[in-house]
Amino acid sequence: MSASSLPQSSPQPPIVSARGVVKRYGQTVALAGLDVDIGPGITGLLGSNGAGKTTFLSLMLGLRTRDAGELTVLGEDPSTAGLRIRARIGYAPEHHDLPAELSAADLVRHLGEMHLLPPRAAMQRANDALWLVGLGEERFRHVGTMSTGQRQRVKLAAAISHDPDLVLLDEPTDGLDPVQRTEMLALIRRIGSEFGMHIVVSSHHLEEVERICDAVVIVEGGELRHAGTMADLQQGPEGLVVEVDERTEELAKILRERGFEVAMSDGVLLLRAADGVNDAVRDAVADLGIGLRRLGPRGRTLEDLYLGAGS
Amino acid sequence: MSSPGTQGTQTTQDSRLFDLGYRRYDGPRTEPISGIATLAVFTAKRVLGLGRGGRHKVLPAITLVIAYAPALISVAVAALADGTLEEDFISYGDYMFFIASALALFSALVAPEALCPDRRTGMLGLYLAGPLDRNRYLVAKWGGVLAVMLAITLGPLLFMFAAYVVAGYGPTAGETPGLLLRILAAGVLTALLYTSLSLAVSSFTTRRAAAAVAIILLLFIPPIVSESAVESADAPPELGLIAFPFVAGELSFRIFGEMPEGDGPPVTEVSTGLISAAVAGFIVGGLFVCWIRYRRIEGFR
Repeated sequence: MSASSLPQSSPQPPIVSARGVVKRYGQTVALAGLDVDIGPGITGLLGSNGAGKTTFLSLMLGLRTRDAGELTVLGEDPSTAGLRIRARIGYAPEHHDLPAELSAADLVRHLGEMHLLPPRAAMQRANDALWLVGLGEERFRHVGTMSTGQRQRVKLAAAISHDPDLVLLDEPTDGLDPVQRTEMLALIRRIGSEFGMHIVVSSHHLEEVERICDAVVIVEGGELRHAGTMADLQQGPEGLVVEVDERTEELAKILRERGFEVAMSDGVLLLRAADGVNDAVRDAVADLGIGLRRLGPRGRTLEDLYLGAGS
Repeated sequence: MSSPGTQGTQTTQDSRLFDLGYRRYDGPRTEPISGIATLAVFTAKRVLGLGRGGRHKVLPAITLVIAYAPALISVAVAALADGTLEEDFISYGDYMFFIASALALFSALVAPEALCPDRRTGMLGLYLAGPLDRNRYLVAKWGGVLAVMLAITLGPLLFMFAAYVVAGYGPTAGETPGLLLRILAAGVLTALLYTSLSLAVSSFTTRRAAAAVAIILLLFIPPIVSESAVESADAPPELGLIAFPFVAGELSFRIFGEMPEGDGPPVTEVSTGLISAAVAGFIVGGLFVCWIRYRRIEGFR
């Protein structure tokens, strides 16, 4: 299955394009022919532990070689142009282990230099990035004395200080309390929207992806289960959802008799789209003299989709 | 003054305050090869304890004091003697043998700092996620440690040479190029030997202490075993080639055309060709071990 997280009408080329990507570790298949296009903006890479997310990130970075398939990142193949691509990528790993004796400013500056910034620019950019992530006042503190939340911010600052085109964030809210998580998500959203960096956020927190991402890619068992924009996702299948105060089954029977396809789920009626369906629901409810609690288009949440993908 | 991170311009009658906040970078970038130099300098600073707490500076400082003290004393004596000394205070071969103690200390207790913490803290993954591959990473680490090793081996000898020349004890004009070449060869090869040993052992562990113990064992056990075997069991003197310190020490004596005082280790009876082969084996073997290890290490996690 080939899928894309780009809007169908998007004129822009994908940031990441995978075709039949296979990666095995011995007998274990981590990616089993992944076909997906990741577009501009912020994309959530969802999947349970062991789904293949981190393997996919490592292939994007060119740190592992795929066993089959084609992969391009920012228009180039990471297996042959890894150094060039990695110079244009910022990466924040999942783990929180950073050199404890370095100050945040020194660490971010050093990694900026390693990403080909001249020394003076690296120092300036490290300060700017640390201010941006809210660690301006703390930038000369040793990383070892910082909280998990602050270290996550240091990693984010290090990932963006060299001004990459693409930022890969692996579980960026791991270990954060709810307030810190909200702040971090707002920060990621801001970096993606205001500074024009494309971001891929690997996560298994559905609500986070729903809150900040423009698109989502769901991977399970090394295979693609869904890819699309959040707008497309929320539209869901065409149809209506109807919820009434009482006599739900009678309403369903009337609508079926009038030729509409009706299903029931947890006391809610789901109607397939058809001409005149809105008017039919209105008339049937009026005929029965019952209260109409909800009448709206059928949409899906990310949870619906994810659980569907998982099953 | 408004804080960074906000956009905008404030204007008053006679001044204008620009606050550009965070913005994209469109300035120059360095060449990918510069990452190697950056990491090498960073590594050298770290192993010397520069930019770190005081306790990280103690061992490098002791090492440098051990390495440079004889040269300073020798030069001071030569200067005070005012041209009346009949011969050098200390020969170059003896000095290299003395420096070996500083090198052993540095190799075991300081140099593992170059590799071990990167794997333990996950910095290796961050480096490899940038424009640096494993080979370039190793070249940078080797370069950083080698630079410090050269400061220990080459620095004191060149300092002593220059001071002797200034004090009037230097070689004749005809001898000077040859002696400089010998100093260079002894300094570079000895530094390569100890760098190779230290980094090869460090590539096996994320713990500096474990690397230090392993290096100390490698520096002490083979000399004891080989010397005992040669002296007690009539084993061939070539067995001494398994002992790293014997080979490194003998290399310097051969380069400077000197003989160690006393009986010397078993390798004094071994041909220069075999000594050279052992030196090459230790250097290339150490490089190879390190390279193989880092091909297999999973930096990404």
